[in-house]
Parts: sequence; structure tokens; C-alpha cells
Amino acid sequence: MRLIKQTIQKKDGSGSATLLPEEPEDMWHAYNLIRANDLLRASAIRKIVKESAAGSRSVDRVHTNLTIRVTKLDFDTQASQLHVSGRVAEENKHVTLGSYHTLDLELQRNFTLEKAEGWDSVALDTLKESINQTAKAQLWAVIMQEGLANICLITEHQTILRHKVEVSLPKKRAGSSDHDKALQKFYQTTFDSLLRQIDLADPKPLLLASPGFTASSFQQYIKTQAASGANKQLHQLVPKITVAHSASAHLHSLSEVLSSSAVTSKLSDTKFARETQLMDRFFDLMRNDDARAWYGPKECEAAVERGAVGKGGGVLLISNALFRSQDINTRKRWVQLVDEVKDQGGEVRVLSSMHESGKRLEGLGEIAAILTYPIENLDEEVGDEHGGIDDLENDPDGSAVNGIEGRSEAHEDIEI
Amino acid sequence: MHRMKNIEYDEDDLYAEDEEVDGEEEQAYTDEDRQNFDDLTPVVRAELDEAGLQASDREIEEALYYYYWDVGKSVVHLKHARTPRPQQQQAKKEKAKSKFDQAAERSASKTGRSSYPSPSASAWFDGILWSTVPSEWEGYLIPVGPQIPRPKLLGGSSKLAKLAEERRKKAASSQTAPSVPDTGLSSLDRLSKPKDPKENVLPQHAKQEPKKYPIRKKRELTPPPKEPSPPPEVEPKEELPDLRASPTAFARTLSTGPSQAARTRSMALDELFSSSTNEENPFKGPSPDDTILRAQQHSKGLNNGKATKQFANGLAKKAEALKLDQTSSPTTPTQPKIKSKGLDVPKLWKDGKAKRKPAAAFVVIGHVDHGKSTLMGRLLLDTGAVSQRDIDKYKKQATELGKASFALAWVMDTGSEERERGVTVDIAQHHFSTDKVDFTILDAPGHRDFVPNMIGGASMADLAVLVVDANQLESGMKGQTREHILLAKACGLKRIVVAVNKLDSSSPPWGEATFEQVKDEVTKLLTATGFAAEDIAFVPCSGLNGQNVVTPVPSNGKTGWVASSSRTLLQELERSASDNVAEATIKASLRMQIADVFRGGITNPLSVSGRIATGNVQVGDSVIVQPSGETAAVRGIEASSDGVEWAVASQLCTLHLTDIEPQHLRAGDVLCSTSKPVPVVKSFVVQIQALESILPQGVDVHVGRLHTSGIIAALITTLDAQGELLKKKPRVVKAGQSANVKVVLSDGGAPLEVGDRVVLRANGSTVAAGKVERTGSCR
Repeated sequence: MRLIKQTIQKKDGSGSATLLPEEPEDMWHAYNLIRANDLLRASAIRKIVKESAAGSRSVDRVHTNLTIRVTKLDFDTQASQLHVSGRVAEENKHVTLGSYHTLDLELQRNFTLEKAEGWDSVALDTLKESINQTAKAQLWAVIMQEGLANICLITEHQTILRHKVEVSLPKKRAGSSDHDKALQKFYQTTFDSLLRQIDLADPKPLLLASPGFTASSFQQYIKTQAASGANKQLHQLVPKITVAHSASAHLHSLSEVLSSSAVTSKLSDTKFARETQLMDRFFDLMRNDDARAWYGPKECEAAVERGAVGKGGGVLLISNALFRSQDINTRKRWVQLVDEVKDQGGEVRVLSSMHESGKRLEGLGEIAAILTYPIENLDEEVGDEHGGIDDLENDPDGSAVNGIEGRSEAHEDIEI
Repeated sequence: MHRMKNIEYDEDDLYAEDEEVDGEEEQAYTDEDRQNFDDLTPVVRAELDEAGLQASDREIEEALYYYYWDVGKSVVHLKHARTPRPQQQQAKKEKAKSKFDQAAERSASKTGRSSYPSPSASAWFDGILWSTVPSEWEGYLIPVGPQIPRPKLLGGSSKLAKLAEERRKKAASSQTAPSVPDTGLSSLDRLSKPKDPKENVLPQHAKQEPKKYPIRKKRELTPPPKEPSPPPEVEPKEELPDLRASPTAFARTLSTGPSQAARTRSMALDELFSSSTNEENPFKGPSPDDTILRAQQHSKGLNNGKATKQFANGLAKKAEALKLDQTSSPTTPTQPKIKSKGLDVPKLWKDGKAKRKPAAAFVVIGHVDHGKSTLMGRLLLDTGAVSQRDIDKYKKQATELGKASFALAWVMDTGSEERERGVTVDIAQHHFSTDKVDFTILDAPGHRDFVPNMIGGASMADLAVLVVDANQLESGMKGQTREHILLAKACGLKRIVVAVNKLDSSSPPWGEATFEQVKDEVTKLLTATGFAAEDIAFVPCSGLNGQNVVTPVPSNGKTGWVASSSRTLLQELERSASDNVAEATIKASLRMQIADVFRGGITNPLSVSGRIATGNVQVGDSVIVQPSGETAAVRGIEASSDGVEWAVASQLCTLHLTDIEPQHLRAGDVLCSTSKPVPVVKSFVVQIQALESILPQGVDVHVGRLHTSGIIAALITTLDAQGELLKKKPRVVKAGQSANVKVVLSDGGAPLEVGDRVVLRANGSTVAAGKVERTGSCR
């Protein structure tokens, strides 16, 4: 995203920013920036019904700039489109004040955002991150096992599942070549789906990962296809392929793949590397039952309150899903927590809920902390406030911890 | 007037209902009532004392309550109650009592057993182990004879019947006066029966009215409309009970979806138990309804009562039909083209038991390159299941690839990739028989990447053969030897035969000390995992040369100790094989997890193979495939590569299917009986034994062949060794702890039942294994 103009006052956070989204991922940033009650100005196409004195009606479609007070956001992960609904806040000759409109933000068209509550620190950080033009790492990954392949696009902030190939393969059987045939067909299907997704003219790195030899066999298959010469552009793709090991073809195995050395050497994504490193450290501490690692909203808040997430190794890992809450107070609560940690000198990492590290955090209630000193039995002191986790019937999506208001939005992202 | 009569009838009904509720809520007297009791009880007592009778406070209170504080009536009533009743009246009362109520009474009086259905289906099945059902539980499911009327109607009436029962008990204590309607009728009976007991006893004398408007009758059966509250001066306190509060069985049948239908069915079963466990069958002989109906048919006219009754009967029949529809609704009515012979498979199985050789399937497990496939190739060659010619052919081909020592393994490793790389990838299945036992080998891959396949194999086996390389014990102990042992235990295997392999190349060859050392180490690990010492057997052998596999080693020289101290591998396997499938398992509903979907040949374009976990199947049966929910017909069955008519639990077999598209079948799906398909669940609670620390995290979920992904969404409790609660909502489950965790599946649902064995893996290693405690919302 490019910052065209900004009038943000450092003092109180008032003012607006005009931004130009340039690529699909910018919509994701916009989704994290725009909140309910904000003022958003963008170009819109609106149908205007005119009634002449004679009573005949004519319908015009007019391009106009509309300012709306946001009520609802809807982010389509697959198409990377953001729809923002709200009520018109500034009247013009076409539209009356207070009427409803849904703005579809478009690439290469400016939009201006003014925060209702002012630009808080998290919003400013998000803004800074979104206008950072350097190092836009992107790669394609096919994570597979025999009979199952997930084709994903991995960007700096998102992992998007683009296609899933699922084929029932007959098992090996003496005197039958059905398995081999079906396997070849599976490779063919996966290959075709992959070609439909990627842009061969500008090939991005391609990562193939699987348990066993499936990935290397698939690499071999692509090479054979390239050698057969039907598709000249394929030759450019072949050198960009990396083969890695994964435990299974399921998406949660991707974090293991992305943190493997074979991949990190190719991906110069320092942000993700740091996040993964911190997540691993957190999990290691948990495994050793070290009282310096805690997760869950209540526990982390209590730890921050005691100044345990401060200078000398204190880290707060928080998913940006929490900041997307429609409820202003909930967002404030988390912004305050982040500011508090920063004041204490701790490190704050806002993880993308659509990225692998963020997904690992999701199960932990979107928030985790590494403390500077151990606190035993923090959970008991915090009390037993979130109930009902063992209630299977009422909790079909299985949010691990209740009582986080930002939770429901987070679910939009898990089915990437 | 006819219509007037109807209205009265309704009112009557309503009052009866009111009183029933009173009976239930007698504890809940209001303060005002209590005041009245305090005032009036002494008065009544005084009156009674005059008459020389004794009565408890409670009786007096009840009488007063019934007669709305009318002291005079209460006293009369209590006097009646005190004086012995004429025998005839007693008999009359008995007669009026319907069989329904007798059954209900019995069920209600059964100690500790509530006739109420459990609130949810999962709660109802709580604690029922599907795979290992204790024998004392098993008898319950069997004796449903087709001639017994479907007991579903009872399911709905049980609550009412219980109310009635309570009322009757009270009536017995207070010796109901005539003004209190005789309540030997459950509400359902009342629907079809005239109120007046006289009419009941002597239906012939009752005034018979021709049926004029049969259509209008229908209205009577809808629940009585809510009456305007009774005149306040009669009973200001009294609240009208919501007559719609407890739906009838019929209503429930109408309103329930298929998932709840299963519950209704279980309720019906409950009713059935409570009556069938009793010697006397209340359904023996004509029902009271039938008796009356017959009497009425003999009489000339048709009375009012009959009309209603006929309708009620029709209603019952309709309800019956509806229920039948519902139970069979998963079965699409498409008649399979293959005719079922309708064999009584359990009986055939029982009859043939003596003649049959016992059969056993064993899974071969162990670390990669410890010689599992080669040992099995040797076993097959030496038992004659594979000809020497084939082996020679393999040897030639293998030598060309520079892998001459893999020739024996090629018997099992048939895949081109497996042969090229010299690693088993997937389970190989091979059949052979000895004089004593029919064996099926399931050769599992040892490589850690293919552990999912090994789990699939272990879930199909009866016992395990652990192959340990005597020279590379260490690598295995760190690697898959350990993991496979844990998984074998997690899959429910009890018996394990340890083949200490490659003893010919140990230093010194056939060193007893080497064997003993391996034996000690492995025993330690096995007992720590939970295998009983008597279920472990050790066999020293060499797979490549075939020493002590089938042919015993010479009893002199280096191998002398082997010949004297241990059996050959084959002997040990024969000794371990047993054919002890419980009959109840065979009679249970069919469950068979699909291990493989393949093209069986030109005549059988679609075949599935797997192990029947419970139940039986015969040619012509209809089966449901879960989670797709599609039905299929069985057109052929193969067991140990012979065509058979039927197959039962614990057999590994191939079913040839028709009437289903191949895309509905995947490895890991469950074939089940049409009458009781496995539910497809999205989340479940599993009691696990943690092998590594567990946090809420993404995991691979393995149930036999089924491999899907899920999230450990919540750590519910940690448990100590006795299964007692240690900590609620722990922040972490440490390795070695057992705990209840909730798992939510990511991609749709999976066919799961309580008691299924689940293995959870993450990042390529097994993190936990356990059994499903309860299942969540069905799809």
C-alpha cells in the first residue's frame, strides 16, 4: 500500500490517512486497519433513480466519492476483496445523509480513513507495516501425501489455501498396477490444479513438502512434464522448486515446513522467522512446564499487570484477530495491554491470524506471553472464569477459551 | 347433544390432568395452603377421633387438599378410607387398570432404574464399551422378537404412566373416594377410553351412540385446548398445567429428526428391558383395548367410545408406521438387485465353529530396516505360500537393481517405488495357512513417515509380531521400535511375539548373551507400555537365512541353546492364535472400516477390503458408508481369497459392492448396518495417555485407517492413574499424564463412536493415544 497523504496528529491520534492499495494483500491490511465507526471515504458506484415531472423513471449509475461511517466489514480471503458497509456520513447531490452503502475497496483507487477513536499505537503499527514496500516474500507451497494435496499461497501475512486435491488411491496389491496408475493420475491432477493457480510468466518459488517420497516424486513429475516440451514456460519453474519434509499433508504441518532450514534459507522473511522462533520458544517452555510461559487472555493480562512481561526477555505474542473486534472496548483492552508491555520494555509481536505462527497461537486463545520471571499457578489466581469448554454441543467450532470478544471474527480466518 | 358431550369429555380430561399434576407437586404447597392445613387438620382429626379412627397428618392434608378444604367431605373420605373396602370394588379397580400401567408400574418400581430416557444420546451410551463389552451387558440387545409389538408408544407414555403410578400410590394410601376419578389409566388409554369406570367395566350397557361425524372425532385427540382458568372461588391458587408440556410419543416421533430418532429408539429399548426382564409378559393375550373392541363389535350399535378408540388404534398404527419409516429411512428404498439369502449368520458361525481352523491376523512392526518384510517373505516361502520360483525371479530382478538381499522382501513390497527404494511404504497383506491356523500377515512399514499406514495395519490385527534387529537395538529403541510398541498397545493389541532377528550376523553369531540383552531391554519397554508378561514371547531367528522361522535350528553347535529353549516363530504364532470372538460381537451392528478401495476385477469393478470390527455381513446385504451416508449392496464377499456367503466380526475380508459410486468410498470410511449407522461427528472428547506434552494445538487424528486433521481445542482435565480428577483445565498436559481433551476435526466430520481408539500425532511423532469418551454434535 502506498501512503498518499496523512494528517495524523501524534498527540491525540486524530486525523486521516489516504492510502492506495496496490496488491491483493493490501486488502488484508485494510481489513486490519478499518474498524467499526471509522469514517471511510472511497469512490463508489451508486444507482440513482430519477423521477421526472412527467412521472417517468430513469436509473443512472454514477461514480461518486462517498464517505461512510463503517458498521460492518467483510473480508473475502479467497478473492482478497474487502466489502465495507456503513451509513453515508457526508451528503452529496446523489446520496442523502444516513442512507446505507457498501463500499468495495478496489486496487489502485485511493481511500481515506479517519479513526473514530483516533489512531492508537496498534493502528499506527499496522499502518506502518502496511506501507512498508520492501521485501514482499511470496511463495507457493504444495503440501502433500499420497492422495491428498493442499496448494497454498504463502505471503508475508497470509497463508491462503487455494486448492485441495483429494483422490482415493487404491493401495498396493500384488499383481496389480492400479496403485501406480492412480498415483500418476493424482500427480497429473495436482499439477493441472497448480498450473491453473500460478502465473508461469512470473514464477514465484514453489515449495513441495510431504512425508516420504511423494514430494520428490512430484518434483520428478514436473521435471518430466517440463522436459516433454509442451509448455516452454515450465522450464522457468523447475529451478525454483524446493522439496522439504512434512509430517503430513494437513495444513497445520506447514509451520513445521516453514521453519525448516531448507525453507528459511530460501525465504528471507525475517518477520516470520522471528515469530516462528518465538512461538517455538514458547512451546518449548510450555513443554518443560516452565512457569515463565503462559497463554490465554486472563493469564496474560494478569502477568502484564505484575510487570512480568517487561525488560529482559518479556515477550507478548498476540494475534491481530483480537484487534479486529467490533467492540471498541475490547479493542481498547488489547491496545492498552500492548502499550503496557511496550512501556515496561517488553517485546510485542502482533501475529497475523492468517499466518502459520498466528494459527498456532489461535489454539491458545490468540494470546501468549513469555515472562521474565516464573509465576506459579497464575491460572488459579486468575480464577475459573471461562466455563463451558467441555460442553461439546454448544461449542461446535471449539473455541478453546470463551470470554474473548474478538473471538467470533477470528473464525472468519481459520478456514483459509 | 353430541357436541356438548364432547366438550364435557374434554373438561373431564382436563381435571384429571390437573389432579395428576397435584399429585406430583404435593411438596409444593403454598404458604396459604399450609395455613389452611394448620387450621383444618385439628378439626378433621377431632372428627375422626370421634368416629374412633386414626389418620396421619399427611393423609388428612391430602384429603383436605382434594376436597378444597371441605372438612365434611374430607372426614367422610377418610372414614371410607379407614373402613375396609369391599372385595368386589377392589376387583373392579384391578380390572380398570390397564396393562400399560402394569408395565409402567413394574418399570417404575424397579430399583435404581429410572424409566426416563437419558437426556441425550451420548449420555445414554455413556460408559458403554463398544469393542469390549462385558459379557453381562451383552444379553440386552438380543431378544427383540419381531412378533412383539413395537414398544415405541410406551416410550412416550412412560412419563405419564409414572405420573399415574404416583397418583395410584397416593390413592392407595388415602383410599380414593368415588369422586376422585379412578386413575388406572394412563393418559394414552384415556384418549381412547370413556371416563366413567362403569362404562369401562360394562361396555355393553353403556348407551351406544351411532358414529355420526367421524371426521370431527379427530379433534378430540389433539391435546385438550387450554381452558380458561377454573373459577377462582374454587381454587384460586391452582395453576393450570401446560398440557402441551410433555409431548406424546407420537408428537415426538413427528417432530424428531433422524438423529433424535435414534434416541427414541433407545428409549423404546429401555421400556422393553423393563418389561421383558419380568417373567410375565404384559403384552401376552389380547390387550384391554382389543377386548373392549371385540365386545363392541359384538354389540349392535357403535358407541361413542368405540369410535374414539378405533381412531386411537389407527393413530397408534400410524405412529407405528411412521416409526418404521424412520428407522428404515436411511435405507433408501432401492431394492438391491442381489437377493439376500437371509442366512442366520451367527447361527452358521456357531455351528461351523468346531470344524473351522482358528484364524489370526498379525501385524509385523518394528524399526525400519530391521528386516520385517524379509522375515515375512521367509515365512511365506517356508510355509509354501510362495513358490521358490517366484523368489528366484525376484532375486534375479533385485540383483539387477543391486539389491539382492531384498529378494525376500519383494514378496511383500510389491509397489514399484517400494522396490526401487527398498523401503516398505504401505501395509502389505498376505495370507497363508498351516495345519492348525489360517494366518493373515499385515506387514507394516517401519519408516517414521509411514506410521499412519502402520496404525491402519495394527487396527486390523489380532496380535503383533515385533521384529528387532539384534545388532541395532539402540536405533530402534529411540525410533520406531518404541513408537510402534506404543501404537500397538494404543490399537488394542494384547499379545506380542518378539522376533529377535539377524542373529546370524551378530558377533558372535547366535550369541545367547546378545539375545538375552535384547530380550531384557525389550521386555522392560513392553511391560512399561502395559503388556502383561504372559502375553510376550521371544523368538531368536534369522529372516534372511530362515533359521528358526519355520524350520527349527540344529540342536548342536552354536544354535543349541535356541533349539532347546524356544519355539520357532511359526510355532509361537500358532500358539498365540486363538479364535475367541464373543457371540455378542457377531450379533452386534455391522462396523467395518475400509482399509482399501480398489477395482477387484472386471466382474467386480468396485471392492473394499478391511476388517469387520463387529457384526456380520452376507451377500445381498445393504450397507451404509459413513461419512458419505450412501448405501451400497454387497454382491460378493471374499475371505482369504475364497468367495464366501458371509463373514463375521474379526475377519479380514473383501466386499464387492454395487449400487454406489466410487467417490463415496475412501479408505478410513466405515461400512455399517443400515439399521444403526455410525454417527458422523465433528468433535469429540478423548481420554488420552500423553506421550509428549500437549497444548491446544493442531494434530493429525488417526482412527485406524482414517487419517484426518483436527485441533486439540481444550484441555479439560488431567487424571491420575486411578482415573480420578487431578486438575481441571490444565494449562499443559505433560508427557506420561492421562487427560481428557476435546478434539475438533478440521475437515468435516468423521464416523466415530464412543470407545473408538484414537491416535493423535503432531510433527511426525505420536503425541497421545486414547479412547473416545463421548462424541459431540453430529453432522
